[in-house]
Amino acid sequence: MNVILSTIIWSPLLFALIAIFLPERNEEQRARVRTIALAGAGVSFFVTTFFAVLGQIGLGQGGGLASAYQENHTWFWNFVFQAHYDLVADGITLPLLVVVTTIFGCAIFHSWKVHERVRLYVVLVLLVETAVNGVLCSSDFVLFAAFWGLLLVPMYLLIRIWGGDGARRAAAWFAGFQAVSLGLIIATTVIVVVEAGAQTSDMGADLTTLPVVAETVGFWLSFVAFAIAMAVFPVHTWMIEAQSKASAGVATILSGTMLLLGAYGMLRISLIVFPEPAHYYSFVITGLAVVGAFWGSIGALRQDELRRFIGYMNVAQMSLVLLAIGAQTSVALVGAVLLLAGQGFASAMLTLVSGAVEERTRTTSIRAMGGLVTQAPRLAGFYLVAAASVIGIPLLAGFTGDFMVFAGSFPGHRIATVLVMGSVIVTTGGLLWVANRVFFGPVRDQFARVRDVTLLDLTVLIPLVAAVVLFGVRVGAVVPVIANGVLEITTRISGG
Amino acid sequence: MNSTHAMTLALLPEAMLVGAALISVLIAILRPGLRPDIHRWIACIGLVGSLAACALVLLGLRHLPSGIAVSVLNGGLVIDSFAMFIAILACITALGTCLISDSVVRSIPSRTSAFYALVLVSTAAAEAIAAEREITTLFVALAGLLICLVALGALVKTNPRGAVSSFEHLIEGGIGLASVLYGLVLLYGITRSTNLSAVAASAGAAPGAVALGVALVVFGLCGMLGVFPLRQWVGRVAANVPAGAAGFIIATSLIGGGAALARVTVSGLGSQVGVWRWLVPIVAAIALGYSSLSSLRETTVSRLIGQLVSAQAAMLLLGLLAFTNGSRGLPAYGMTAFLAGLGITAIATLASFGVLGMLQAAGISDRIEHARGLAHRSAPAAVLLTISVGTLAGVPPLAGFLSRVLLISGAADTHYGWLAVVAIAATALTVMAAVRLFATLYADAGDEVPFTLGATPLLSRVVAGVACVAGIVLVVLIQPLLAVATAGAGTLR
Repeated sequence: MNVILSTIIWSPLLFALIAIFLPERNEEQRARVRTIALAGAGVSFFVTTFFAVLGQIGLGQGGGLASAYQENHTWFWNFVFQAHYDLVADGITLPLLVVVTTIFGCAIFHSWKVHERVRLYVVLVLLVETAVNGVLCSSDFVLFAAFWGLLLVPMYLLIRIWGGDGARRAAAWFAGFQAVSLGLIIATTVIVVVEAGAQTSDMGADLTTLPVVAETVGFWLSFVAFAIAMAVFPVHTWMIEAQSKASAGVATILSGTMLLLGAYGMLRISLIVFPEPAHYYSFVITGLAVVGAFWGSIGALRQDELRRFIGYMNVAQMSLVLLAIGAQTSVALVGAVLLLAGQGFASAMLTLVSGAVEERTRTTSIRAMGGLVTQAPRLAGFYLVAAASVIGIPLLAGFTGDFMVFAGSFPGHRIATVLVMGSVIVTTGGLLWVANRVFFGPVRDQFARVRDVTLLDLTVLIPLVAAVVLFGVRVGAVVPVIANGVLEITTRISGG
Repeated sequence: MNSTHAMTLALLPEAMLVGAALISVLIAILRPGLRPDIHRWIACIGLVGSLAACALVLLGLRHLPSGIAVSVLNGGLVIDSFAMFIAILACITALGTCLISDSVVRSIPSRTSAFYALVLVSTAAAEAIAAEREITTLFVALAGLLICLVALGALVKTNPRGAVSSFEHLIEGGIGLASVLYGLVLLYGITRSTNLSAVAASAGAAPGAVALGVALVVFGLCGMLGVFPLRQWVGRVAANVPAGAAGFIIATSLIGGGAALARVTVSGLGSQVGVWRWLVPIVAAIALGYSSLSSLRETTVSRLIGQLVSAQAAMLLLGLLAFTNGSRGLPAYGMTAFLAGLGITAIATLASFGVLGMLQAAGISDRIEHARGLAHRSAPAAVLLTISVGTLAGVPPLAGFLSRVLLISGAADTHYGWLAVVAIAATALTVMAAVRLFATLYADAGDEVPFTLGATPLLSRVVAGVACVAGIVLVVLIQPLLAVATAGAGTLR
């Protein structure tokens, strides 16, 4: 029996259940709780990575293999539709699973910096990991909605409990937007199971019988639902608030995985299930991408708070992915998935570095910082690697993604592509300006005793650097896998 | 099977309950000084006996394709799969109540037998309602249920507000019953028959009067269900009656009201009398909107639970509407969703009030602000409250969420798309209301003094815990519940 995907999804929850019964009265007990949590995230990470490599070999070789791993059990059938416990890992899912399990591993490592209510913290992080992995693997609408909904409460609590000033408001914004997103996903699910007449909520079922109106409504409902999660302009405000007010570890999960999930949902549901309206309204999607790219990059320049700056950068980066989703060509979509992977790692790294900087300087203001490179050269180095990946420097994860998105989008949407490329210049300027303000320039007296990265920081950041470099250098091994996954989208859109 | 045997079999589950209630009362009269536990175990034996009788009937039903085991009194009393589903659900709810009610009866040691007798008779009334297809006996059973539940609330009062709330429950329930009575009388006047199925056949005779009669019956039964417009009693009972009893009162009223509504609308009126099919959606939409919005501004845990039960009850109406075939000519399975939802709601209600009872026993105030930092003080209490309230609110991926997806899908399939939209919006609101409570439980550190649930007996804690965990287990094992619900729904149409 194939239980690989179930292991990836449920092992964090299993370890969370163990952690919940452990005491946390002293530091030793808290360390034990963290270790158990790390084991949960570790099992998920190692199983994902090992089987991703195997899957990559299988999918990369082609031969008509649509998915590397699949589990399918009928969940319930005495109803209008059948629902399945249907898990699939295809060419899109596998690399993204590697990204999210890596980020969750880092987030659990980062929990060694959390000293209050450690048990609750790690349990909630593991619950979020279960939900994220579940969303990525679900191939059934009801299952997908259930996992999507599972994100809401733990993420809300993580933002609110361990966040700084204003975290209460940020958490409320998050919950409000996510509740709307959940409602829209339920509506999409209902439309599909009722209108398609396939009597199943399986995403892989033949849904070509959907009436035009239902298809259009379903497309827009799912698009808005995922646009919220992806922080697309103008529904991006929750992310800026949450990114700036949550603790660094939680903000890492937010920027590294939540945005990715939104984009994944668009690829998996908005494009595959509703291909015709997705194609028909592609100009709206690219229009939103252009506006979002400029809104994000220019908005970032206006920020004085380091993590709000990263939040706006995320909006700009996601607009590149949105451009690819609007372009709907094979090259652009492969680039989008690569970009998601690269952005996930880079954004997580930027957030962790900014958290470390804030922790050391005790300020969030970019203008109040300066000259940190003297005291913390390694920290500056990590920032520059992450920034370089976002900018799209060759041999890093972001480069191929950027290139393929632009190359794939240009033939169909020339003006939009050129405009979004223009925004990348602004983004680059912004990242370099922040690097200059924070790390370079005259050394400030109040930061004279700032420490460089600790062993714990290195433990968290080095895997992310390795991933950014690995995805950049070995991109040739990843692209065929993603191309295999994207094939279904392009086939559906071209009417196949 | 001759009519005497049939009648015996039909009334056996109810007879077990009423018999146990009588024994308990007799023992209390003859030996007043006995331990209260004796009455509890008598009640449990009666309930297990009733469940065994239901199992006996179900065994017989396996070989009957019609799903009807017994039909007596010219079809006025029918023991079918639907009646059995409701009977089993009512018995499980009562059994759970008996096992978690220790702290409630401790405050009324001299009236313990009355408490359990009322629980048993209420359960018998709920069982009888599910089997009725005759309007006079249906009304008698409804009145019996209301009186028992009101008496139960008044019996366990621990403060003057408890008595007042029971009185208000009586008044509101009385108005509802009067509405049902007037409606039924009107229908009788038109049809000259006390059998519900005759109403549909004579619907064309006086459409205006039929519409008025149906409207009155529907309004009254919605009140029993805890749905707008006669829904204020739910919040009052939740807030003022001790939790162990409040859970039973609300859950049993929900079960009885739901069964009566299903019998009258789906089984009796059917699709031939169209008036209820435009009236119920309006009631459902208003109730969903009102309950879900109200839940956002509740300041006590008990009233929040009451609002969430009310919202969930309104959601159940969507299932009633989807009793016909769907848009593609296939069954919409609305009644399956209705019965599954009824089961999940009843268990979640019992679980929520069970946990609340444990908190009350530990001396924790009912106000949400006083539950601050509950996760610091007693992690098991916080987790159990999270699961039970989350199930009622429809928080994914708990059973309440799944139940709502099924109900909404059924309604959307039968051209109530607009109502499905309202239901989805209401779900988002109730989820937000639950999140607000969770934030207080986990996020806000208040009084850091830890407490244990030791004030509640172990058995009660285990039963409440099992009821809470059912909210998770039923997600995985929804299929057996749906299978049973489908069988139950099959005999209604």
